[in-house]
Amino acid sequence: MEKKLETVMDELIARPGVVGCVFADHQGLCLGVTGKASDDSAGIIHAIAEEAARLEPKSKPPVILLENDNRSCIITTTGTVTGAIFKSIN
Amino acid sequence: MLDILDDMDRPGQTGYLLLNDEGAVLSSSGDLENDERTAATIMGLINLTSQVDSKAFPPEEGFKKLSFVYDDHCYIICLSNRKIHVVKKKLPTDIPSNIV
Repeated sequence: MEKKLETVMDELIARPGVVGCVFADHQGLCLGVTGKASDDSAGIIHAIAEEAARLEPKSKPPVILLENDNRSCIITTTGTVTGAIFKSIN
Repeated sequence: MLDILDDMDRPGQTGYLLLNDEGAVLSSSGDLENDERTAATIMGLINLTSQVDSKAFPPEEGFKKLSFVYDDHCYIICLSNRKIHVVKKKLPTDIPSNIV
């Protein structure tokens, strides 16, 4: 499990624009972090994903996108794992 | 002014909400008409997103736009002039469902 997640994180960080990523389990505990991201944010990204799922409880969880002029953050949930990818736009 | 915003034609729009900075519904239309529950959830999310990763995102920068993308529709949220604009719109069906 950890090995697979590490491989996924290595692949993600190698993609253009990606500066960091963090993964959380169903309790909001950090499963892995790489690049310019903090393991402290695992709880908050899980909370955001959980709150967003309440928007339409009958649909599958949405992909959450936060953007400003320079950066963006994509939060997505698959099964019990929530992942956040931080990207730099410049 | 609010009426002008309501009447604006945004392609694919199915609903619209305008909230003040305390989360009260100022104006609404379509799917989101008088949708206090969605308004409360969105306010909760806006409060949460202000604390996202301080290492990757300096807290002084903040976010300008927040989107929730489902398979066939999305919600787009923008903050402007101390008001929160929420648009629910249909997505074209030919884009991939998994955008990540």
